[in-house]
Amino acid sequence: MSNLLECRNLSKSFGPVKALNNVNLSIGRGRIVGLLGPNASGKSTFIKICNGLLTPTEGEILINGHKPGIETKKIVSYLPERNYLNDWMKVSDIIGFFSDFYQDFSKDKAYDMLSKLGITASQRLKTMSKGTKEKVQLILVMSREAQLYLLDEPIGGVDPAARDYILDTIIRNYNENATIVLSTHLIADIEKILDDVIFIREGQIVLNKTVDEIREESGKSIDSLFREVFKC
Amino acid sequence: MLARLLKYEIKATARLFLPLYAVLIIYAVINRLINPFYTLEIQGSFTFQTIFGTLSIIVYFILIVSVFVMTLIIIIQRFYKNLLGDEGYLTFTLPVNPWQHIISKLMTAMMWYILSAVFVLLSNFISIKDIDLTTLLNLIKSSIFNASFLILPILILVQLASNTMMIYDAMTLGHLFQKHRLLASFAMYCVLYIIQQVLLLILILPLSRGIFAFIFQSSTPTPGQLNSFFIFLIIPGIIMTAAHFAVINYILKRKLNLE
Repeated sequence: MSNLLECRNLSKSFGPVKALNNVNLSIGRGRIVGLLGPNASGKSTFIKICNGLLTPTEGEILINGHKPGIETKKIVSYLPERNYLNDWMKVSDIIGFFSDFYQDFSKDKAYDMLSKLGITASQRLKTMSKGTKEKVQLILVMSREAQLYLLDEPIGGVDPAARDYILDTIIRNYNENATIVLSTHLIADIEKILDDVIFIREGQIVLNKTVDEIREESGKSIDSLFREVFKC
Repeated sequence: MLARLLKYEIKATARLFLPLYAVLIIYAVINRLINPFYTLEIQGSFTFQTIFGTLSIIVYFILIVSVFVMTLIIIIQRFYKNLLGDEGYLTFTLPVNPWQHIISKLMTAMMWYILSAVFVLLSNFISIKDIDLTTLLNLIKSSIFNASFLILPILILVQLASNTMMIYDAMTLGHLFQKHRLLASFAMYCVLYIIQQVLLLILILPLSRGIFAFIFQSSTPTPGQLNSFFIFLIIPGIIMTAAHFAVINYILKRKLNLE
């Protein structure tokens, strides 16, 4: 079977700024991939192109053999770095919304995770803290049986105690044929769950290896390698 | 999928429109009870009651105007926020074609235009006692001619649709800019408006001796002339609506760049 995600000569410019510069990348199935880079390195831009929210300037991206569109949206579950939910909605409204539009959405799974995190489904989002809203979004995204999960900064806004639970949730809630791409700069927290690592800097891929390869070759943890590569 | 989009579209806008209509109807009921129109009619002199009656009527008209203004604002804001703002991150990751989003937005907008008009009319009937329906209908009929009785509402609906799509189009085009997207949207609206007016003029001028003769001769049109004039205006309205739709669909499908 072909790779789940394939991109060729992908570039994206915002005016004179090149957010992505000639990126070539293949990501297989059943992997947990860390997309790691400093701020403004192109992580979000890449993920937004995968979701069809941005149009590439050059090159193309194929997910399961399709360009971003209705076919890929059915199999991609996306967690953006911002809040995209209507504030006036109740959690139960949003769960209804997701199950109306995504065939792979499991209501039971969502309600189960909500109760474990102590979030009431009848609560309106308006009354929730920023961290709680992020948890709700993550629950929605992980309640889908998607083939590709694209999680943009999934642990950025929550406290370290909740981070472990969230990472645990991510790992427990995907099937082994699915792939997760996680973008973050909080490497130490996610290092232990990763299979593959992609380092991105100024819109270019500077490293793309498995965690085992990195450990064997350099004998370093990803966190210390990251600090070395991206030394200011 | 379109049915589901419509369901959520109506749900998201109804929570804003229903309170608006409720205020209008409640105020109409209050007006009926204090009956300011009647008070003004029978009071010859300047009294506290006439002041109160006048104020009450002014507030009522302000309310009617604000219902229409709010209708437009809510419709514009819904499109902008739900497609081009942060909510667009969810809207555009749904497995739905862009054209379905556009159609669901337009259909819901049309529904609210009609409902706003219906509720304003309803509030008229409530607030004015002893309204004579047959006289009213006769008045409408005689003012726009029997023949145009059906054509005119269709023309109004087509014009509403084409103007709404023009606003949507302006916002979508404005979103192609890297910076100052709101300002660009206003500029785009002006550009589209000028284009539309020029096209309409090009269309009308060659027919200045035909269908539009009565305008240029400033004579009173016959019902038949007026009717064919209305029918003729419907066609460019439909074409403009379709053109805006094509542009919006192309941009949302091929050129989308959310902030």
